[in-house]
Order: sequence, then C-alpha cells, then structure tokens
Amino acid sequence: MVLKNMKLAVIFIFCLLGTGNGFAEDGKGATARQIIEKFQEELIQVMKNGKQLGFSGRYEKLYEPVSNSHDLTKIARIVVGKEWEKLSEEQQKKLVDVFSRFSVASYAHNFKDYAGESFKFDSEEETARGGVVVHSHLVIPDEKPVKFDYMLKEKGNSWRIINIIANGVSDLALKRSEYTTILQREGFDALIAKINEKIDNYSKL
Amino acid sequence: MSINKLGSHRKGIHKQALFGILIWTTMILGGCATTEVAEQQNQADPHENINRKIYSFNDTVDNYVAEPIADAYKWITPQFVQTGVFNFFNNLKNINIVLNDVLQAKFKQSAQDTGRFAINSTIGLAGFVDVAKDVGLEQNDEDFEQTLAVWGVPQGSYLVLPLLGPSTVRGIPGAIFDTAANPSSYVGAPVQLVSLLNARANAEGALKFIDEAALDPYVFTRESFLQWRNHLATDGKSQAASDLTDFDDELSGNDKEDAAGAASLSGAGGKSTETENPKAGLILRLSADTREFEQVSHSFRSTAQSFDETAQSFKNAGTKIDKLRK
Repeated sequence: MVLKNMKLAVIFIFCLLGTGNGFAEDGKGATARQIIEKFQEELIQVMKNGKQLGFSGRYEKLYEPVSNSHDLTKIARIVVGKEWEKLSEEQQKKLVDVFSRFSVASYAHNFKDYAGESFKFDSEEETARGGVVVHSHLVIPDEKPVKFDYMLKEKGNSWRIINIIANGVSDLALKRSEYTTILQREGFDALIAKINEKIDNYSKL
Repeated sequence: MSINKLGSHRKGIHKQALFGILIWTTMILGGCATTEVAEQQNQADPHENINRKIYSFNDTVDNYVAEPIADAYKWITPQFVQTGVFNFFNNLKNINIVLNDVLQAKFKQSAQDTGRFAINSTIGLAGFVDVAKDVGLEQNDEDFEQTLAVWGVPQGSYLVLPLLGPSTVRGIPGAIFDTAANPSSYVGAPVQLVSLLNARANAEGALKFIDEAALDPYVFTRESFLQWRNHLATDGKSQAASDLTDFDDELSGNDKEDAAGAASLSGAGGKSTETENPKAGLILRLSADTREFEQVSHSFRSTAQSFDETAQSFKNAGTKIDKLRK
C-alpha cells in the first residue's frame, strides 16, 4: 500500500516536473524564427488595413510589434559607433527615444498598402557568436522577390532583431555610416533635428 | 616665334595634364593599397570632398533637368508603352549578360539567359513584351564590373562621376565594356535619349526612397551602392560573413555591459572567448586581404582558374568560420 502510494507520488512528481519543464520552455520565450514570423505577420496585417488606418493608425499598430521584436536600444547604440561613449546620459536617452520613433515611422510609411505580398521563411543559421540569422524573402506579385535576412541576438530570455539585410544591403551598416558621419561633421543636435524632420515628413506623406 | 611659344605652351599644358592624371591615379592606387582595418568608410571613399561636390552637382542637374523631362515623359506616355520601352532596353541588356555569364564561367546561367533573349526577341515582339518572365525565366544581373570582381580585380575607391553618378575605379572599365557591348549605343542619339529617359523614369522609386529615408543622402547613396554592388558581384555569398565580422566586435562590447549581471554565470570562459574571437576575426580579414592581392597577380592568366580560386576562398572562409564556432 505504502509502496503503491509512493509509486503514485513518484508518477505525480514526474508529471509535475514534466509540466514544469513545459512551462519553463514557454517562459524561455520564442525562438528567433518565431519572433520573425510573428513580426512579419503583424506587418502584413497592418499593410492589409493600411489605407483605413492612415499613417498614425499604422504607427500605433506597429509600435508594440516593432519594439518587441527589435532591440532598438542596442541598434541605436551600434548605429552611432564609438560616438556613443561621448554622449551624455541624457543625449543617449534622447537618441534611443528618437531613433525608436523613427524606426516605427519608417515601417509605417514604407509598408502602407497591400498588393498580395507575403513573407516566406527560407532557412535559419547560427552565427559564430551565438547570434541567429533568419533568411526569408518577401514575395511581391509580378515583381522580383526581395530577400530579407534578419540577424538576431538573445536578449534576456527572448530573441531580438539587431540587423536587417534587404537584398544584400545592411540596414545597420547603412545607418551606421550615416549617423557617424553626421555626428562627426555636424554634431548631436543636428542629428536629432534631422531624424525628427524625417519622422515629420513620413507623417505628412 | 609666337607660334613656337604657343607650341611650347601647349606642350606645357599637356605635361601638366599628364602630371595631373599621374597624381590622380597614384591617389587612387594609393587608396587601393591601404590595408588598415580601422576606418572603413575612409578606406572606401578617400575622395569624399570631391565626390560630395560632384554629387550635389548631379543632384542639381537631376532636379532641374532630368527629373522634369522624365516626369513629362511619364505624363505623356501611357503605362503600357513605358513598360514596353523598359522591356525593350532590358532585353538588349541580355546580350551583355550572356557575355558576362560566359566570362565568369557561369555556363548554365548563360544558356538560361540566351534562352531568355531568344524568347523575348521573337515571341516577345523584339523585346517589348517580357514573355520569358511569365515562363519563369528571371533575368540575372551581370555586368563587366562584376566579371572583373570575379576575376579578382579589387574594387578601388568610390567615385561619383559627373552626370553618370556613383561608380568605383573598377566600375569605369566595366561601364566602358558594357556600353560597347550594348547595341543601343550604336543606333544614334534619339534612341539613346529614350534609353536615358527610360532609365531615369525607372529610377524614380529608388530616388524617392533615398529622398525620404536618408539623413545624409550622399552617405546613404554611397553605402547602399557599394553594398549592393558587392552583393551582386559575390552573388549574395559574402554579405552574411562580412556583416558579422563588421559588427561582432561592437556587439560583444555592448554585450559586456548589457550582460554585466549575467557575466557571473558564464565566468572566465566567456571572457576568454571574447578576447580570442576579435583576433581570429582580424586574422581572417587579413588573410582574406592577402588572398585578394594574390588573386590580383594571377587574375588575368585564366578566367576559369581564378573562378576556382574564388570558389575555394569562399570554402576556406566557411571552414574558418566553422572553426571559430567551435
């Protein structure tokens, strides 16, 4: 009897551990591929309702998806390169804030309507330093597909996008040379002013 | 006497011009020879000041001449005619694409592109209809600049040419060859004018995108041009690797601060890999450089051979990355 009870208890504990493990895996967050696919789906959804939503509607709808899938703080940091260290804490905060708004605004501007586009997952590979690159492409009816390669890094218990390479052009490299050039030539205030001007233009177009 | 003087004066001008060209080429070659890993943008663009001036000149010409004319062309020409004109000139490009396929030893692709040209030139009514695309024959993007890249000729510095726009030192002989191999270059001014109009009208989207997205249009154009050319020349193979070596140092630097709390978990092991990897990356980069220089010296001996070499170097880089991973 005691033995039977113990057996039951052991089974019970095993079950508990099993479910516990299951929960633990859930808590560990989505894989890199899941993050990308979820984000792309949200993007397509916004494109489908793009016209009704208008710029501000698309911006609202995309703010959470973009900031939850991208590591905007880290991207803002890489984009200004060594200049980051020279910025005051307040300036760093301001840069991250303005940069985040700019990123969402450019998504809201460039993905404004829907003409049957869809994202297709191609493959996934690990990089030397524990990052993951997710290869995918955007299928556009009657046009050449656009390759989208996402580079992700682990942040906390989830994956976040660090870089997007569209048809071989790296967004991070592009922004980095732009931002460092402006910082060196014209300074921090000019950079912030220029980004704000772009956000403003996006909202009007 | 005075004629004599004039003659000698002319000679002087010639000499000066020659001297100027000499300085210019040494500057460019000097640009090629720098092996510093430090500042990449200066390495690629040592003539930024002149380039920026020509860029803004081109921009002005575009705003006041090319754009209005292209807009007028788009306004008076029905969409199907515009598409037809685009298809026609695009089809002529296939001759050049096939040539370069062969020069790069891409024989299967050359057969495909020949088929494309044959179908569009016949069923496609001299190229006005892109039938091949509907059959599933996508156009490949090849030109002589890419061929030179495959042969191992280094890119050289970034140049903005008056009226012609972004290029590189390697792009100039490339463009000359491509123009020579394109039949539309020989039929006279009106056709060339339509070709130019068509090109400008089709660039509209890209130029608008740069206008909207770029904080510094000059840098934006330069970076996207160089990356895109590199992507084409390597058929998309180099991008992932180069991107990683460029940013990983930075990323690990940030990780150190970000994961200050988590560092205690990984302990000393994590640190040693962090210090080792940049070194390995540097060696990888340097060895890639020397390999590139070796290739240049062999380059013109035979196409097929250097093609093999580049394939091999990709393979080598792959195994090196694998080693790094371990």
